[in-house]
Amino acid sequence: MARNKYDIDETLDSGFDINQLKRLGSYVGVYKKRMIFVIVIMLISSALSMLTPMFLKDVMDTVENCAIHGIISKDDATRRVIIASCLMLVVTLMVVVILRFKIKMMAEVGQGIIHALRRDLFIHLQELPFSYYDDKPHGKIQVRVVNYVNNLSDLLSNGIVNTITDLCSLVFILFFMLSLNVKFTLVCLCGLPVLATLVFMIKKKQRRAWQIQSNKQSNLNAYIAESINGIRVTQSFVREDFNTDIFNRLSADSKAAWYTAVKYNFIMNPTVQTITVVTTAIIYALGVAWITDGFGAMTVGTLIAFTGYISRFWAPITTLANFYNSLLTAISYLERIFETIDEPVEVKDLPGAVPMAEIKGEVEFKDVCFAYEDGVQILNHVSFKADVGQSFAIVGPTGAGKTTIVNLISRFYNVTKGQLLIDGIDINSVTIKSLRSQMGVMMQDSFIFAGTIMDNIRYGNNEATDEDVIRAAKTVCAHDFIMGLENGYETEVNERGSRLSQGQRQLISFARAILADPKILILDEATSSIDTETEILLQKGLNELLKGRTSFIIAHRLSTIKNSSCIMYIDHGQIVEMGSHDELMKNEGGLYYNLYMSQYDFLNK
Amino acid sequence: MSAMKWFYSYFKKYQWRTLFGLILVTATSMLAIVNPKITGYIVDDIIGDGSNIQLDLLPKFLLLMIGATLLRAGIRLFFLFIFETNSQNMLFDMRDAIYRNLVAKDFTFYNNNKTGDLMSRQTGDMMAIRHFVAHVIYFTYECVLLFCISLVMVFTVDWRIACAMLLVLPLTLTNTIVQSKRVKPGFSKIRERFSSLNAFAQENISGNRVVKAFAKEEFEISKFDRENAAYRDSELAATKIWMQHVPIFEFLANLLTFVLMLVGGIMVINGDMTLGNMAMINGYLWMLNEPLRQAGWIVNDWFRFVTSVEKIYATIQEEPGIKNPVSGPFDISAPKPEGSVEFRNVSYSIDGEEILKDISFKIEPGQKVGIIGATGAGKSTLVNLMCRFFDVNSGEVLIGGQNVKEMDLRVLRTTIGMAMQDVFLFSDTIEGNIAYAKPDCPFETVEWAAKVANADGFIREMPEGYDTIIGERGVGLSGGQRQRISLARALLKEPSILVLDDTTSAVDMETESQIQQALDNLEKKETVFFIAHRISSIKDADVILVLDEGRIVESGNHDELMEKQGYYYTVFMHQYGEYEKIRKGESVNG
Repeated sequence: MARNKYDIDETLDSGFDINQLKRLGSYVGVYKKRMIFVIVIMLISSALSMLTPMFLKDVMDTVENCAIHGIISKDDATRRVIIASCLMLVVTLMVVVILRFKIKMMAEVGQGIIHALRRDLFIHLQELPFSYYDDKPHGKIQVRVVNYVNNLSDLLSNGIVNTITDLCSLVFILFFMLSLNVKFTLVCLCGLPVLATLVFMIKKKQRRAWQIQSNKQSNLNAYIAESINGIRVTQSFVREDFNTDIFNRLSADSKAAWYTAVKYNFIMNPTVQTITVVTTAIIYALGVAWITDGFGAMTVGTLIAFTGYISRFWAPITTLANFYNSLLTAISYLERIFETIDEPVEVKDLPGAVPMAEIKGEVEFKDVCFAYEDGVQILNHVSFKADVGQSFAIVGPTGAGKTTIVNLISRFYNVTKGQLLIDGIDINSVTIKSLRSQMGVMMQDSFIFAGTIMDNIRYGNNEATDEDVIRAAKTVCAHDFIMGLENGYETEVNERGSRLSQGQRQLISFARAILADPKILILDEATSSIDTETEILLQKGLNELLKGRTSFIIAHRLSTIKNSSCIMYIDHGQIVEMGSHDELMKNEGGLYYNLYMSQYDFLNK
Repeated sequence: MSAMKWFYSYFKKYQWRTLFGLILVTATSMLAIVNPKITGYIVDDIIGDGSNIQLDLLPKFLLLMIGATLLRAGIRLFFLFIFETNSQNMLFDMRDAIYRNLVAKDFTFYNNNKTGDLMSRQTGDMMAIRHFVAHVIYFTYECVLLFCISLVMVFTVDWRIACAMLLVLPLTLTNTIVQSKRVKPGFSKIRERFSSLNAFAQENISGNRVVKAFAKEEFEISKFDRENAAYRDSELAATKIWMQHVPIFEFLANLLTFVLMLVGGIMVINGDMTLGNMAMINGYLWMLNEPLRQAGWIVNDWFRFVTSVEKIYATIQEEPGIKNPVSGPFDISAPKPEGSVEFRNVSYSIDGEEILKDISFKIEPGQKVGIIGATGAGKSTLVNLMCRFFDVNSGEVLIGGQNVKEMDLRVLRTTIGMAMQDVFLFSDTIEGNIAYAKPDCPFETVEWAAKVANADGFIREMPEGYDTIIGERGVGLSGGQRQRISLARALLKEPSILVLDDTTSAVDMETESQIQQALDNLEKKETVFFIAHRISSIKDADVILVLDEGRIVESGNHDELMEKQGYYYTVFMHQYGEYEKIRKGESVNG
């Protein structure tokens, strides 16, 4: 899939089909028992509610018999009225208690479902490859996890229960209607195809409109996220006004999309009302005609009773129509959620993968090739072997494939061809977690989490004690500056650690990497922003630390790598030169030699 | 100004339209009362007992019934559109204002707020306001109106029973007030948990590489589970509160029926009221019941709205510490101040930690300045003060002879081109990223900047060249590539002062020296600040400042500093001490 940016709508490869509804059903299914329970008590509740008019009718009859016809004595009538009223109150209390139950259980079910859905989404996101995150603005991923999922809660709890209870009452009413008069019922049902036709006609447009709306919302979200993350650049480039214009354009798009989509939803209610009133009118007309003709033994009683049912027949249909509207809205979110959950995980444990035994540290590339999906070849037939405890340095021009080599060791990507062995075991045959947790990787981008410095370093190993953390910090020469902060290790830093300097951030992620006590250590431009003095100190600590560990170092400062056991010069995805510093320096005019000497060029200018 | 006043300042523009909408709502409510009357008339008077059907009137009244319903549906559709338009337009204005407000906030604000939190203000909280303006306003009005009309009707029929029914009102009011008081903290909690969940998800997505590298997926999932559960629990906790009140409203609604049955019944028995009146009141009962049933939900909606407004207001009302002293239009093409920089006894501290102490130096336009010093010595802070991203605690910073505090921030910041240490790129094309300062500039300019920054070569090798879209934070590019794009971006500003904050640390030596040469050959003589750890980056600077623990400990050019044999000398010897050795070795070999 092509890379996406904030103002490009995401395409949707798979449409929403019945299978996805089934999937949704599996989330709801967990709460089947509770849903059924609530539906049953709701039906009881509606049945009980039907009693109220009966009690009222009883009171009316009683007072009529007493006040007008004088059949019942005042005292008897009063007693009956009090009894009926109190019974009605009792029934009301029951209805109220049921309502309370329903609210509670539906909240639990709704929240439970979105909790589960969000969890599955999040778990899957943890497994998705780097490329998934690289290809789209992060704000677009985020909106799926948080906002989209939230939109579903009510639909999946109250929506479903109300729909089912309404369907039940619809069946009841239909039964009553049929028992009263079949012909009228048929007339009434004639309204349904009209409604169905309308629904069918606008369905496609309505769906599309909501899809567009969710896309625009996602775009806006992406831009907000990016604006906040990039605020420093924006301010330093005085782009505030220009960006506000872009934001307003996206905001206007989102507004327009919402407006278009919601219009379709608005059509539903008036349509149902119109159909109701037209069918009612037809039934009055027909009824009156049949009464005057004496056709089919029609009576006024039947007619009036029947018209009473018409509105009750259409009321649940209105609710159903509303449910349908929210369902269409929800589907535009759901399909995005499921799309993410369906995103294939390329790097995953193969069947029968076993946990990696404790790594000793031998790393071997056997004729490894690697290409991205788009076919761009990154590594061509790379073969080398690093023995336990060796330090390998990787140098070469930008884009030569240095980072790819180390990423393959952690199995962030699968090799396209060839084999990658650690301690003689193909890394594809072991579980990813057992593999990665035994490696310390420090990347170009030193990411700092919101939290204390202690927590940030401990990220490398949750079991580490405070002493372990401090020891790691000391090893990487971070202890002094940390102690200089107002709360030492307990100082809160925010995401991206903006109050720390880049060098300090690198030291913290360095400490994090070594805290895991890894047998294989990978440093990808780990010390580029660290000053020379600190680096020399660091080097000393590191030499101690690296004993018995295999390490891979990518660095531009050649002083950092000079003492490595082996230096590989990579160009265009191939190893061009390989050997120790001294060996490579013997090859005057070689690539490494030239690279090394070039750092002194400026001294001769 | 309070949060509600802030809301009103946006709502004001739409208040007349809202009022018009409410008048339409009144019309539909009236029709809602009229419609059953028409039906009643058809049944009672036209059809009657079936013996004397008024056939001539029937079609007319049926048409009237249809007409009234259509009219009601039409008006309803109309006012729905009005409220929807109002809410969307208002939301647009608000979003615009909040966005402007956020981009004007200073770095301190962003250091103290999480991205995810700030995002929630523009997303979730906005939706609560939208719902309020589009729906809650008219719905509340509709309920109150219906209730009042029907109450008046009941009064006209029989004031005594109406008074009995009025007894329900104090109970309703009490329930409303108690619910309001109780749900508010609950909704506030929900908003907090929502923000927190959002912030967590945001951070996890941004840090996905680290999560994978440390195989911490399970740890992240367990953290997420806590956030996710906390959010769910906050929702359930709020539900627990309002589920106690909503059924009470339901009960109160039914209590009206009870009053009618008991009081009305007894009154009829005792001849205080006619049966017909009782039946009539029964006909109005649904109009009294329905609003009461909805009251609990309405209270919820109101307080969801109030909480969101308060959250947004709390975020935006924080005054930025750094404000532009000049407002009004800004001419981007106006000549920029010249590139002289002077620090006069500048000190700066944050959270009680002194970062810079008594810094003084003066740089002439066109000079090259190198800054070197230990990690955390205050190098980046120093250049951040030049751009006035932070304000000095004491002393003065002068750019082009002017105190930065008195300059138009926009002029100041266009004067300085910063390539920052922490490279942030936007999810846009490479061209769009480089042309960030001047989005409309011709392609040649972009190409020129890329060439100077030695980025043209690798950009052209990419599948779509300058049109390649790069991900946020430039993932997909190597550190060196990102730095070069960031440098090109700064160059394109054609600033008087160019700041390279560790911008070449991930670039190899050869490329770096090419960049240096290209910078030297620029037509316009810009003042250039290099912050670097590599001696090669700063050796040829006119002035080299050595920073240590917030102070300038050494300054001078390369030769002067080498003579001093201080920090600079030590660093030089570490990096190039063996050069002599090699040269000797060379001469031996040769």
